[in-house]
Amino acid sequence: MKSNQKLKVAIIGSGNIGTDLLIKIMRSELLECTYFVGRNFSSPGISKASSMGIRVSDQSIDAIVREPDCCDLIFDATSAKDATYHWSILKPLGKIVIDMTPAKLGIMCIPAVNLEDALKEQNINMVTCGGQASSPIAYVIGQFVKDIEYVEVVSSIASRSAGPATRINLDEYIETTEAAVKKFSEAKETKAILNLNPAVPCVDMQTTIFARTTQPDMDALKKEINKMVAKIAGYVPGYSLLVEPIYEHGRIAVLVKVQGLGDYLPKFAGNLDIINCAAIEVAEAYAKKLAVKNSVVHH
Amino acid sequence: MKKKVLISDPTLRDGNHAVAHQLSAKQIESYSIAAEAAKIPIVEVGHGNGLGASSLQVGLAAISDREMLETARKHLVHSKLGIHVIPGFATINKDLKIAIEIGVDLVRVASHCTEADLTQRHISFAREKGKEVYGVLMMSHLASPELLVEEAQKMESYGAEAIIIMDSAGAYLPSDVTERIEALVNALSIPVGFHGHNNLGFAIGNSTAAIDAGATIIDATARGFGAGAGNTQLEVLVAVLDKLGFETGIDFYKLLDASDLAEKEIMKIVPTISSTSIVSGLSGVFSAFNKPVERISKLYGVDSRDVFFELGRRKIIAGQEDLIIEVASNLSKYPQKVK
Amino acid sequence: MISKLIELIEADCDQILLESYGLLKPIQNQHILITGGTGFIGTWIAELVSYLNKNYNFNTRLTLLARNADAILIKPTSLGRQKNIILKSKDVRNIIDLDSDINYIIHAAANPDNREHSTNPLRVIDTIVHGTSALLEKSTLLGGLNKILNISSGMVYGSQPHELNSIPETYIGKVDCSQINSIYAESKRMGETICAAYRTQHRLEIVNARPFAFIGPYQLIEKPWAINNFIRDSLMGGPIRILGNGDTVRSYMYGSEMAFWMLRILISGKSGHNYNVGSPHPISLKDLALKVSNNFSPLPAILSRNGAESDATHSKFIPNVDIAKKDLGLEIKIDVDDALRKTIEWNKLLV
Repeated sequence: MKSNQKLKVAIIGSGNIGTDLLIKIMRSELLECTYFVGRNFSSPGISKASSMGIRVSDQSIDAIVREPDCCDLIFDATSAKDATYHWSILKPLGKIVIDMTPAKLGIMCIPAVNLEDALKEQNINMVTCGGQASSPIAYVIGQFVKDIEYVEVVSSIASRSAGPATRINLDEYIETTEAAVKKFSEAKETKAILNLNPAVPCVDMQTTIFARTTQPDMDALKKEINKMVAKIAGYVPGYSLLVEPIYEHGRIAVLVKVQGLGDYLPKFAGNLDIINCAAIEVAEAYAKKLAVKNSVVHH
Repeated sequence: MKKKVLISDPTLRDGNHAVAHQLSAKQIESYSIAAEAAKIPIVEVGHGNGLGASSLQVGLAAISDREMLETARKHLVHSKLGIHVIPGFATINKDLKIAIEIGVDLVRVASHCTEADLTQRHISFAREKGKEVYGVLMMSHLASPELLVEEAQKMESYGAEAIIIMDSAGAYLPSDVTERIEALVNALSIPVGFHGHNNLGFAIGNSTAAIDAGATIIDATARGFGAGAGNTQLEVLVAVLDKLGFETGIDFYKLLDASDLAEKEIMKIVPTISSTSIVSGLSGVFSAFNKPVERISKLYGVDSRDVFFELGRRKIIAGQEDLIIEVASNLSKYPQKVK
Repeated sequence: MISKLIELIEADCDQILLESYGLLKPIQNQHILITGGTGFIGTWIAELVSYLNKNYNFNTRLTLLARNADAILIKPTSLGRQKNIILKSKDVRNIIDLDSDINYIIHAAANPDNREHSTNPLRVIDTIVHGTSALLEKSTLLGGLNKILNISSGMVYGSQPHELNSIPETYIGKVDCSQINSIYAESKRMGETICAAYRTQHRLEIVNARPFAFIGPYQLIEKPWAINNFIRDSLMGGPIRILGNGDTVRSYMYGSEMAFWMLRILISGKSGHNYNVGSPHPISLKDLALKVSNNFSPLPAILSRNGAESDATHSKFIPNVDIAKKDLGLEIKIDVDDALRKTIEWNKLLV
């Protein structure tokens, strides 16, 4: 893809998530970051972006309002409150927004499951780390075992990878993850649990998906799960099965591990990496879609 | 003027671990009536891992939180009804709000001993609703006294009215307890308490060491009914405290009756220190892991004792029972002499 | 001439490491970042590490970060030309990236020169407060980081109270925050507070060292501390002039010993703990001047200019190092006579 055909994207929010997204975008053949905006020139993210030659601003959303043609798609990596305010401005401007916050304004997107549906929407939210790790597996189980009663997801992450924002929003994380798992598994009831483990060396993110069922055809189910794991690994390289899925004690148990790429965040912060990888996947899919739309096809 | 010790009795909560969270409404009713008659100050009721913890991860409860609490609430008049709440398992909207509406008296918000900041919102919510709130630090053997003080101070800043440290793995020796309780009592302006487990036979000794070091709140259960090797045995503790000159406000004979009733009606077996319990105590693993460890070790054909030591080596915390599957699976593939 | 100087340093390293190098094994194959890496502390630590690499195959990598890291190339040492030692010229306040494979950090970026404290207090505050924050913020992104050693200062205690023979780490100190001669002390105190905040909020493992007084090669003789003055005066033929009260009591630790203590604290010190680093053996300035003079022939005269009696005189500033001994087995092996002798020998060769 020629560089002038790359999708122009901007990032609002110069914290760790925004900065990590920037580094991933710079590797992308389909995306070009034309603006990296935050609120404070002395933020480490802005310095980093600047050192890489990216255009920066400390005017946050105002920078984009002043130059609306600078980008077509925006990653909002601020906060739920700010993202809601930004959407009120970006929606009428016709911008596509990938929402990294818990604002939940648009469609929940798990790329391995509902990417096509998400591409029809203008606001796409990336759920939670636990949601990204578990929903695809929950989806597979839900398709395999019809009318599933109950699905539960438990994630363990390193203490160090959970900052004050994660901690103070623990309940929101649980509720959002449960909603996502419910949507994609179509289970009647769902539960999400989060554990923070302070052990050092820092532990990678681990997520276990449980489903309460009668004994299924585990061999067939394992095949489907493996297919899905491979699909996810296509955009989250550090995603893998930890153990062969089993059925015991009246429950299906699937254990997955997410090791981060280590672009900006440490490798053990797989929880943060998986959402970013998923977000990039959505943006790149959008880039392809818009490129097809814009290309002139001669037959 | 006798010195006072406040007894908190989680027979109907920690005890639930011992019966895979299958305590029935009838059992809760029977013991609540007996505890009220014995004037036990605080009776804690719920799933072993607390409010909202009924799950495939740690075990599904026989009855709902609502049913457990409403049953107990009916029969506890002078005794306070307490709950154990772990953020990450229990949310404010789905779980805590309802428990408060049902009318619990005391909310004990717990976190892993290094993660006190997770309790900020739950403690604040309960305080705003006018409830009494304690902060609880679990698996406290995994933190140094200084670190425990820092975490306890956070809970104090959120509005906790007392701090309880738990020996969730039953791993402490009395000197460990002394240095931690002393540090906490010196640093905090709120009361300090101790929750012991008996995996290494030290529950009573640790509890008296805690009191010597300045703790004024002690958790204990009937016959020690609780996770793993069980908790500090309540009726023994009260007898010992009486001998040492402490006042608990508990009616001793009625307490013995309550424990007799508990033995007969709510436990399948009286807690003992089994081989598994010794191993979990020594390896510093959460006492309640014993059931899933035994079951899953059998499934993978590995020695459950090796699984415990490996879990301990990896510093697995309460709530991470799913990792037992990983550990057992790895050991079955790569056998190694662990101990 | 440089080779002779290098030999002296190597002999010092050998003396301090011969029996104890095993205690430093955890840094084998590890990457250590030293901010302020070309200062007295950074240089001595680099010398020890370089010696461990050469003689014990430690394979430890060092990154020395300093505003002007190339300054080390003009020092009489081979440190600037070693494959395992990288020089990075960057102001600690402006770091954008830290190498993701850093395992240990020694934060020694600050200027203990009190002339700078008087002339440019704002820069002193900014370097310590902003520099420490910026460094720790970047550290949160390091996945393989084991420990950070924050080099604070014995100055955080303020002056030593009369009732104490030596200052233990438990003494919380007394510093008047609105006084300009408290600026360095207050900045260092804030540095420790910032470390505590990062420790609890970001779960970084950080240990604090509070250095007292050191002597040794690589210390600029021009710095206006009593001991430097005495040596400089002697090198110029004397007389040694004692300013202020000769009964003022201090203590001095030799550079190689200091570096060993710092590495040991970095590796095995407990996170959240403070360790005094210095000699617990007191010596009056009078006696110090005498000892210095004995290293020179002919003997330089000693002139004492007594100032008026005041609180600043009769002052003591001695660290209590029992904790370093109890927790880490650290003891003083080089007494002040040897420390002086070695320092003076090196400085004589340098001239």
